[in-house]
Amino acid sequence: MSEPIIEVNRRKVHVLETGSGAPLLYLHGFADVHSVKESWLPFHEQLAERARVIAPAHPGCAQTDENKDIESVEDVVFHYLEVLDALKLDHFDLVGSCVGGWIAAELAVRHPEKIRKLVLIGAAGLFVEGALIGDVFMNAQPEYGSSYASLRAMLFASADQPHALDMFPDGKGELEDEVRRYQMLRLSSRIGFKPPYFYNYSLRNRLHRIASPALIIWGEKDGMVPRAHGDVYAAGIPGAKLAIVRGAGHSPQAEKPEETAQLVSQFLSP
Amino acid sequence: MKPVQLFCWHFMAYPYLDKDFDEKEYTGWVTVPNRLWDNGKARGLYREYIDQLAYADELGFDGMVLNEHHQNIYGLMPSPNLIAAALSQCTSRGKIIILGNLLPLHLNPMRVAEEYAMLDQMSDGRLIAGFAPGGGPETFNYDIPSANTREKFWEAADLIVRSWTEDGPFAHEGRYFPLRYVNLWPKPLQKPFPPVWIPGSRSPSTMTEVAKRGYCYFLSSRSHGGQTHRAQQEFAQVLEKHGDKYHPFRFGILMSTYVAETDRQAREECEEGVWYFLKNCLKGHLRREGRQLTYGPGIPYIPAAAWREYLKGYKPGGKLLGDVENWDELDASQSIIVGSPETVTRRIQNLIEKAKVGNLLIQFQLGNMPNHLARKSMKLFAEKVAPALRHESLTYFDKEYPGVNVEQSAEAVH
Repeated sequence: MSEPIIEVNRRKVHVLETGSGAPLLYLHGFADVHSVKESWLPFHEQLAERARVIAPAHPGCAQTDENKDIESVEDVVFHYLEVLDALKLDHFDLVGSCVGGWIAAELAVRHPEKIRKLVLIGAAGLFVEGALIGDVFMNAQPEYGSSYASLRAMLFASADQPHALDMFPDGKGELEDEVRRYQMLRLSSRIGFKPPYFYNYSLRNRLHRIASPALIIWGEKDGMVPRAHGDVYAAGIPGAKLAIVRGAGHSPQAEKPEETAQLVSQFLSP
Repeated sequence: MKPVQLFCWHFMAYPYLDKDFDEKEYTGWVTVPNRLWDNGKARGLYREYIDQLAYADELGFDGMVLNEHHQNIYGLMPSPNLIAAALSQCTSRGKIIILGNLLPLHLNPMRVAEEYAMLDQMSDGRLIAGFAPGGGPETFNYDIPSANTREKFWEAADLIVRSWTEDGPFAHEGRYFPLRYVNLWPKPLQKPFPPVWIPGSRSPSTMTEVAKRGYCYFLSSRSHGGQTHRAQQEFAQVLEKHGDKYHPFRFGILMSTYVAETDRQAREECEEGVWYFLKNCLKGHLRREGRQLTYGPGIPYIPAAAWREYLKGYKPGGKLLGDVENWDELDASQSIIVGSPETVTRRIQNLIEKAKVGNLLIQFQLGNMPNHLARKSMKLFAEKVAPALRHESLTYFDKEYPGVNVEQSAEAVH
């Protein structure tokens, strides 16, 4: 395991790495490493059995320095181009969940040559008429003084499943988990909390540029990014396959780790 | 030194909700269904409210206070500048305080600079210009991303003041509002520029930015326990750090009151309006019921380090003002002071001395309080409470702040 903090263009970037094999860049979503947990989820550990999994924390998340000039997903993509340079990654597998999936898709349409294979899990980023992306910010405000049930219901198949309660408990959770959750909302508000809400209108018509094989994974009961977005991703990326994870909500990587990791590993295997 | 300044604040609540509103509706803010708006009842409501403010001017209050809110039953003033324009023409004496225009909600800060300059001219120099960043609900009303709200806010506020004071045309090379030809017509009447007030909720960074610029700090809290006193002390320390000195007119607070002939009568007369205000108007804002939109992780406008500090002291599920269950709890919150002129005078004077505050922004009309009761309370206050407060506060300020010339404060000369 290497030193978790690297310096990129005079900013600190927190990068976790585990496993060995072909490089796999993982970009985190909400119920995830860096945005709740300090360490890997079982999902990542399973991926690491066959790959070198590299997970940077987004700008302002975990120990990555905040960058107040980030105002759009474009700025985040550029940040990651510099991270890739620093990590000397020029050809790799790319996996992203939710906001991380959006960033992954934006990266892939700009630099299709860098991506060996692409996996998007419940990815935000598209405008799909009649299928609004859910308001994670409103749901992050407590109800009845201390309940985060509606946030859990948005991010998981149900509000009372153990993973959901562990990562987004009512009241006050473990302090540093709370801070990481807040940091992820803050980063997300920079790129997603304004019209357009968590999407880039132009992305849809750029998806055809993606040249790598692509797997689109969606939770059967995604309460944040409607299933219709998965269909549009799958239809827009040439040759992409769509896989539905039964019983999962918006966070298959946390809810159904074994099944989701297996889908990803199988798809990535040479 | 001058006596305490007594301003009449009107929030312009929607007063026609049914009795089962709290039971049936999830919130009074942002998503409160607008099918509840009843034109049959609401016709003439703005006239009634504007007349109450004009009455405050007649009664000798030092000014009238307005503010900006959107999509709620708490305050029907998405554009306080419209009400201010009306007041500029039907009053002649008191200050018109707008606390304030929510700058991040305006596409271009020059619009605020222009409207405030117009209002200053229209009111013959009576404008007190408030700038506010907006709270949680407004973030959702207009989908304002929160992480850079504060920076945008201060860039806008500084641009407005620069446009009032510097000859144009000039180019503003800002991060958020770059403009090539800033050249304000009309200019404001007051020189060097209208007093600027900025609301805050004890955040050290807001206090620092206010102190740097010599503005008046207004504490936006509605309850006045030890926190109000602490806010005053903190702001005084920040001022000192910037080579400035605190005096009571650098600071303002919001409170509510109801005055009647006796304590008992006061409570009887205002109770319906008070509970309407607490349970309906504060639902979604200062209540645990439903979803509280005012502060929290979904509106992440403070840096993560500040959020960590806040969390350390945060106890989830704590009671907010709207959660009080009985009159004693309400009394203890020092938010709504109810009673005879003697009781109200004593309690407010106590608050003035504890908080060393010179600007009292007082809400009279609460919730669905009928017009005649609001006016009666205002009149009794003006006749029986205000003279005593002015006398006692002047004595107190003279003793506590000897030799301070408030007219030459940084706020006035800048």
